[in-house]
Amino acid sequence: MSTVIETKNLCRTFGEGETQVVALDQVNIKIAAGEFTAITGPSGSGKTTLLQLIGGLDEPAAGDVFLSGTNIALMSGSQLSDFRRDHIGFIFQSYNLIPVLSAEENIEYIMLLQGVSTQARKKRVQEMLALVGLEGLGDRRPAQLSGGQQQRVAVARAMASKPNIILADEPTANLDSTTGISLIEVMRELNKQLGMTFVFSTHDHKIMDRADRLIHLEDGVIQLDEMRAF
Amino acid sequence: MLTLKLAYRNIFRQKRRSLLTAISMSFGYMLFVITLSMVEGSWSNIVDIFTLDHTGHIQIHNGDYAKRPKIHKTIRDRSSVESILVDHSEVASWAPRVYSPALAYGTKKTTPAQIFGIEPKLEPTVTRILQKVSAGSFFSASPNSDGYFSAMVGAGLARTLNIVVGDEIVLIANGADGSIANDIFIITGIVGNVTSFDRKGIYLPLTVAQEFLSLGSDVHEYSILALDKHKNEALAVQLQAQIPSVKVSPWQEIQATFYKTMQADKDGNMFVVGLIVFIVFIGVLNTVLMSVLERTREFGVLKSIGSRPGDLVRLVFLETVMLAALSVFVGFLLILPLIYWFTDVGLTMGVAVEIGGVEFDTMKGELSAFVMLMPMAFILITAGLISIPPGLRAARIMPRVALGSH
Repeated sequence: MSTVIETKNLCRTFGEGETQVVALDQVNIKIAAGEFTAITGPSGSGKTTLLQLIGGLDEPAAGDVFLSGTNIALMSGSQLSDFRRDHIGFIFQSYNLIPVLSAEENIEYIMLLQGVSTQARKKRVQEMLALVGLEGLGDRRPAQLSGGQQQRVAVARAMASKPNIILADEPTANLDSTTGISLIEVMRELNKQLGMTFVFSTHDHKIMDRADRLIHLEDGVIQLDEMRAF
Repeated sequence: MLTLKLAYRNIFRQKRRSLLTAISMSFGYMLFVITLSMVEGSWSNIVDIFTLDHTGHIQIHNGDYAKRPKIHKTIRDRSSVESILVDHSEVASWAPRVYSPALAYGTKKTTPAQIFGIEPKLEPTVTRILQKVSAGSFFSASPNSDGYFSAMVGAGLARTLNIVVGDEIVLIANGADGSIANDIFIITGIVGNVTSFDRKGIYLPLTVAQEFLSLGSDVHEYSILALDKHKNEALAVQLQAQIPSVKVSPWQEIQATFYKTMQADKDGNMFVVGLIVFIVFIGVLNTVLMSVLERTREFGVLKSIGSRPGDLVRLVFLETVMLAALSVFVGFLLILPLIYWFTDVGLTMGVAVEIGGVEFDTMKGELSAFVMLMPMAFILITAGLISIPPGLRAARIMPRVALGSH
């Protein structure tokens, strides 16, 4: 399998002087296409920071991030936006749907940015809603959906642009355990069906158990990186 | 379409705030329209007074007569000029004139005067001369039973010479052929009052003046009214092309000082209104900035999922301009009947104002595309410009910071 995500000596610090906090310290990872990887660790261990650096939402203090062999540090702001739009799907802990748009429109918006035709967008939206099990709820606004349903919309939104990488920051943290497991199984199923690379952070053991690979972080340092067999 | 929908729905997130912003923009628009209508209406009225008193919308002269009048600088080929004026569809009316300085003798006094030789039938179609006759009656070109020709004098001149209707007046002037012209005329009418522009004038029938001044059938000037007074400059250009042997000038050129003063006054008013609208827009800027700050996280999400900085600038721009468009539309509906009334009926002034011998007791506005649409364009463009700083702020949002991870 080809490597789609690679970090080399990735470092990130916050603050300066005596108040400086090292969020990530010399992190080196390689993630192959189609992997279903969980990044684990306690709060403040650097999970979110690592995902944000991989997604180009933040800039490292040192080191590099390569996505499909491209060093994202060399991209301009607009190039990085386009790269994120076309190659990366984000799922956030607190869903982060646009409140004034319906579920369908939230999913459609990213395709609008891609310049997909209206007809193709509508078709793909219905496919995505079916994939995440939300048929018939497309016209509801986020406030009219449960937390689990909102996160499913977020999953559908992340996948609508047909990215090859999905980054999910504690996607089940705001959900009850049954809904969380159900969501992670949807993600797992999509990973198997579509071959997308999933990297998600969690500190829920039931969720970790469903990952192919576990990367455990503590104080910004990788403590464990193991492949798991199913 | 989805971006428009998103922008539209974002407007209604904070209904009360959007309503207050919309009211302030509507108010700004209406204030702008009222002021503009008043300024344009007043100036239009003044221009009418000015042009219909004597100047007309366009004048035709021989060469530089308008700047350096000499009695011999006449238009001789009248038929070629008049045939074009008669046939031109944009020319409403026209009248030929001659001028000359003269000395006027009354019963006891002598005073300098200005002779206006006017065509009795055509002149009233160009100016308000008939309305300005304050005593006696408008003259004819025929002599009275004693063989004396009629004259009308300005009220100022009549007072200076202490003459009234029915009195005789003696005029002495230089003829075009170098001779000394002198004759007796009978006063048949007093024109205007002592504040009139032509208070020192003495009106003679055109043919009488031509004979008195030895001008033959020549004239010094044609005064023309255009069918559409707003297109007089374009008409002047057309006429100039058709009659290259003479100088055709719009009133703006003839009365250049007045025109510049008017433009300066209009510009001053526009500046003041523009300043008021700008102050209104400082409030709008604050609202849009607040709206952007409140949605920092959302903009961070939009950037995370691939929105370019320019997409966010466009979104904020659309939101602001759409709100401005809605405000202006409401303002338009509210102000249109008022401006219509102001233009059609107008405000009655307590005391009538006399300008150029004509009384005006109503102040009227102007209803035109310019009055209604120019403020609209101004508000929309200002709204668009005002949206740029908040838009840039949204575009510069760092997704990591916006998502509130640290």
